[in-house]
Amino acid sequence: MKIDIKKIEEIVGENNYSDNIADLYVYSSDASVHQAMPAVIVKPKTIEEVQKIVCYANKKKIPVTPRGAGSGTSGHTVPIDGGIVLDLKQMNRILEIRPEDMLVRVEPGVVDDDLNRALNQYGLFYPPAPASSRIATIGGEIAANASGVRSVKYGATRDYVLGMKVVLADGSLVNLGSNTRVHSAGYQLERLIVGSEGTLGIVVEATMRITPLPKFRCLAVANFNSLKDAGNTISDIITSGSQPSMLELMDKVGIIAVNKAMNLGLPEVGAIILFEADGNVKEAVDYEMKKMKGICEKHGGSGIEMSYDAAERKRLFSGRKKLFAALSRYKEGIICTDLADDMGVPNSKIAQTAEKIHEIAERNNVIMAVYGHCGSGVIHTKIMFDTTKKSQWKDAERVIEELYDYVHSVGGVTSAEHGIGLSKAPAWKKARSDILPMMKAIKKALDPNNILNPHKLMDAPDDWVKATNLRYNVRS
Amino acid sequence: MTAKKVDFKRSKKWEQELNKCIRCGYCYELCPLFKSYTWESDTPRGKLILIYGMIADEIKPNQEIVDKIFQCFYCKNCSDNCSAGVPVTEVLTDARADLIEAGYDVKGTIVEIDENLCSVCGVCVPLCKYEALSIKDINKDQKKIEVDKIECRGCGLCVAACPSEAISQIEGCDITLPELHEKVKTLIQTYEDMKLIIFCCNWSLFPGMQLSESPTIIKAPYGIIVTMCSGRVAPELILNAFHEGAWGVMVAGCPPEECDHDGNYKTRRRLVLLKNMLKELNIEPERIKLEWFSTGESAKLKNAITEYVKELEKMGPIKKIEIQKMVGG
Repeated sequence: MKIDIKKIEEIVGENNYSDNIADLYVYSSDASVHQAMPAVIVKPKTIEEVQKIVCYANKKKIPVTPRGAGSGTSGHTVPIDGGIVLDLKQMNRILEIRPEDMLVRVEPGVVDDDLNRALNQYGLFYPPAPASSRIATIGGEIAANASGVRSVKYGATRDYVLGMKVVLADGSLVNLGSNTRVHSAGYQLERLIVGSEGTLGIVVEATMRITPLPKFRCLAVANFNSLKDAGNTISDIITSGSQPSMLELMDKVGIIAVNKAMNLGLPEVGAIILFEADGNVKEAVDYEMKKMKGICEKHGGSGIEMSYDAAERKRLFSGRKKLFAALSRYKEGIICTDLADDMGVPNSKIAQTAEKIHEIAERNNVIMAVYGHCGSGVIHTKIMFDTTKKSQWKDAERVIEELYDYVHSVGGVTSAEHGIGLSKAPAWKKARSDILPMMKAIKKALDPNNILNPHKLMDAPDDWVKATNLRYNVRS
Repeated sequence: MTAKKVDFKRSKKWEQELNKCIRCGYCYELCPLFKSYTWESDTPRGKLILIYGMIADEIKPNQEIVDKIFQCFYCKNCSDNCSAGVPVTEVLTDARADLIEAGYDVKGTIVEIDENLCSVCGVCVPLCKYEALSIKDINKDQKKIEVDKIECRGCGLCVAACPSEAISQIEGCDITLPELHEKVKTLIQTYEDMKLIIFCCNWSLFPGMQLSESPTIIKAPYGIIVTMCSGRVAPELILNAFHEGAWGVMVAGCPPEECDHDGNYKTRRRLVLLKNMLKELNIEPERIKLEWFSTGESAKLKNAITEYVKELEKMGPIKKIEIQKMVGG
């Protein structure tokens, strides 16, 4: 696999590619534990440039790994086979906002928060914002079928994709989907691309559904003595028919971490729940909030604070917003790793899964935080341990195996919103062996030379620890 | 240049902190260098990855890596906002010290003195809060200004203050005077309704999109140009904005006591003189406005802009004859 750098330069120009070690090393990792060096980084600015690069790569059988913000947690953008990393952040234009059709047309590198800043001027918003919305690109969100704190009411990226332009492995360009809210004309191919993690094609333009900003938003926080009480509260809120626009959980590990990192002074109770309702009629929002508050109180929720004010809501949410990174500060000598980070479980299993996570962690000498958009069944964790010790990586391996076995046994899924990539692939393949042949057949049909983000998802190695170098300095 | 042997004794003490960086990448949005260069290796996360790679002996230092490490304006947006609490700029300073000690020649965002132009007047020396500039004896009769490459924060106050224009800084990230002039010109020429140019300090947050573009929806009568410090806004930059057709110029800086470089005091003095000059030329001094904004006061900034645009609309454009007088035409 020899890459003709002159050819790359011809296509994108001398300032839009790099094969110097500084760039290659930085682009060799993302937010996961994985690391693998690419041969060249290419930053196309147009659809034609993407087509030419992919066409060239296909002829020469060079791997192409598309990359947005590089904030993935499972190694989706780590170029396990080297080759070209296609950095799409330069394709960052909002092409068209059509309030009359309630849709927006964007390039893949548009950042989620930027899109919302532009839409807010029209009284509109794009709801599936992940916590990383300040840097996450729409292309990356499509690749992972990302969702976020409002998924409990508004759903995930897949619910907002109307259509897209995709460059296929042979360099050809296809228009998938439509500009209409529904279409019924054969395979829903735009949906096939959602969650494909760059393995089937490269999204070069997306048409997304947008929605009006609600006039009222009210956010509340409630404290609970135990994680079990908090988990059961969430399940009850959902089954009660309430319509939260956000329903978040944070356990004690998370609370301690954000207090240490941000000096927030949150009460270090068993767990905190954040719940929000939104709408255009204040009385209706009041009704939802009152109902959810009542369910919290029934389960022992206390210290309930509630506000419609934007600044106050920001304050109440600040701990949750920065929790992911703040976990690094939980305890000296303990490092926060992105492993087993986003399982989804049925609504009735939230409390017991949350407790099980702590039990498994304790038994295996690691620390785990439990938090997430539990209203939609998303449970986030991180595995925290001394990454310099080999024995602790063994502990982490055991935790992952036990945890996923448990999650799958209660009818849950390996990944709810971050995707499979490399580190979740072994557990996911074990749980979903029935669908792997179908996925492999689709991949082979669309990418016969296996150039698009190869060896991810169903083709990822069976041992995640050895799949690539670990990005940590492991000593003994 | 061949690889040099580097003893990473200072950098290595940060290994645990580098592990704490969970590589979320949230610092991208806040980094002026990333916005200019668009390579991930220019982000705070990218720099930390490079330092980690070098101390873990996974990559050998070379000029390309060193150049990246020496590019930073020390705005500290990254370290101040890092939820993992990684002291990015402190790590960076120690890595710089290790690399300088090993003999690497560096440029990055550090200021450079053109000795042919420098008269060694020494104006720049007390300006530098970091004591990065000093007068050194070359021999009995000759002196020169020396730059401490570890201590220089790249704020560029000395660049704006040097009467001989002997001090310069890296091009490509819209911080040099010609680049800023060009930006003003492009804004005014591209958008016909452009009335107000705002020089906005990178240290206080500014509203609007950060990392994306929207050519179809920008209709604002104002344009924001981010500078590294309000103290960098040289008088000729403001005068040229008027010359290009701006109706008014706002300089938005950090409040007194909050500026990392004490650049805002210099701006305040400078703008008083400029306003007096406008008066002499029979131009309303209100066409220059200085406002203070703390980090996070982007809503206040937005309101101030709206109000000022209204004021300017009442005043109308500057009469052409006055502008010609002003720039000597």
